[in-house]
Amino acid sequence: MRRGPRYVAALRYLATLLVVAVLTSASSRRVGGQEAKPVELDSATAAAIAPIVQQARAANLPIELLYAKAREGQVQSAPVARIEAAVRALAARVQAANDALAPNATAQELGAAADALKAGVPRETLREMRRAGRDGSLAVPIGVLTQLVLRGVPVEKASVQVVDLLQRGAVANHFIALDERVRADVLDGKRPDESLDLRLKGIIPNLPQQATADGAAIQATTPKRPR
Amino acid sequence: MREEQDELIQHVVDELKVLPVVPVDATARVLARVDAARRAGTPSASASDDDDVIFFPTATDEMAAQAPTLRPLPSAATAGGSRDGGLRRRFVVSLPAAIGYALAATLAGFLIRGAMPKDSAQVAIAPDARTNDTSIGARTTVQPVAGSVDRAAQEKPVAVQFVLDAAAAKSVALVGDFNGWDGSATPLARDSASGAWSVVAAVPPGRHVYAFLVDGKVWTLDPRAPKAKDSDYGAEQSVVIVGLP
Repeated sequence: MRRGPRYVAALRYLATLLVVAVLTSASSRRVGGQEAKPVELDSATAAAIAPIVQQARAANLPIELLYAKAREGQVQSAPVARIEAAVRALAARVQAANDALAPNATAQELGAAADALKAGVPRETLREMRRAGRDGSLAVPIGVLTQLVLRGVPVEKASVQVVDLLQRGAVANHFIALDERVRADVLDGKRPDESLDLRLKGIIPNLPQQATADGAAIQATTPKRPR
Repeated sequence: MREEQDELIQHVVDELKVLPVVPVDATARVLARVDAARRAGTPSASASDDDDVIFFPTATDEMAAQAPTLRPLPSAATAGGSRDGGLRRRFVVSLPAAIGYALAATLAGFLIRGAMPKDSAQVAIAPDARTNDTSIGARTTVQPVAGSVDRAAQEKPVAVQFVLDAAAAKSVALVGDFNGWDGSATPLARDSASGAWSVVAAVPPGRHVYAFLVDGKVWTLDPRAPKAKDSDYGAEQSVVIVGLP
């Protein structure tokens, strides 16, 4: 059967596309290979956490968090069983964090949220933070919330105030300033919750005051502040 | 790596420059019918029964008739002169060829973009999937999710200095969740004047825990930083909260 010129041309384009795809794919693999920098886990630890990692990978969770937790245990010479338990618990927290921050949390946010859950922050607080934080990264606000709770601020109070700050348009530097001031006050002998109330009065007047209707219920539980 | 990509791009360009040969009689026939249709006042898009022909203003009909093969796209100067002796400049490309060019360019663009090195925001510690889960590499495996791009861009690592006064130490390394607790990834250097050890490390925004490993084994906290007890392994850790860049 005689093939027309268009058929030949189409074949030629197809061949070109295939060549481009193959060459680019090979180049991409080389990029990854050159950047890889192996750090060994011992074989017992690797075998113990492999099923957990596999499960996390299947759920599209950031598995580097799990490897880091295993490596942390190795550095501290923890027994394999303890490392496995720690990695399993972390995987569960990352999954819960992923659900709370759905649909598009970053790895940094998930790591921070997993730590927050470990510190006792409720999942609902993470959901409220996502709603209040709009398109901003929550890695810093969640980290500061965790630190406030670990420092001794009651988790309910810290949660309400952090969500309120997000609704008012607070950004990472506001949260870091708040954390540093509370830390200094606690070192100076103040109660953590009193310090939080005090230091919020210095932060809130500088915020864009972008509270949303969604945050009305939360704001109703907090003291009214001049707008 | 850059040379490899340049070679690749050059290869793609060379391949795309090769144009298919169109039979002389076919082009001439189409051009003649188009010209006839134009003289009759018919819109050019429907001038031919061949509805898969599109036109670009460029070379003259006479030129096309004399050398009836496809020509490369014209330079700006050539395209600027749209008329010559009453005849509109035209460039004829078959629809399949045009679609082929578009597809090839689009696919090549996507593929080449995918081969580019990741930026510094994606240099988080991560396992290398090719090593059967037994090693950790410096290449992320986090898959970007639609909608998370802006947030990920906000989380680019920030340079943070860590300092430890340990005059008697032979070596000091920084280990933390930001470097995968890798004792060889972030060694500190001794400052000859003060005797202090220090390093500047790239740390993503957020709350991080870390410690120093003195002489390869002694777990040492940062006296300048807050502390937190880790319930997983029992040791205390130093805490740093890093802001956005």
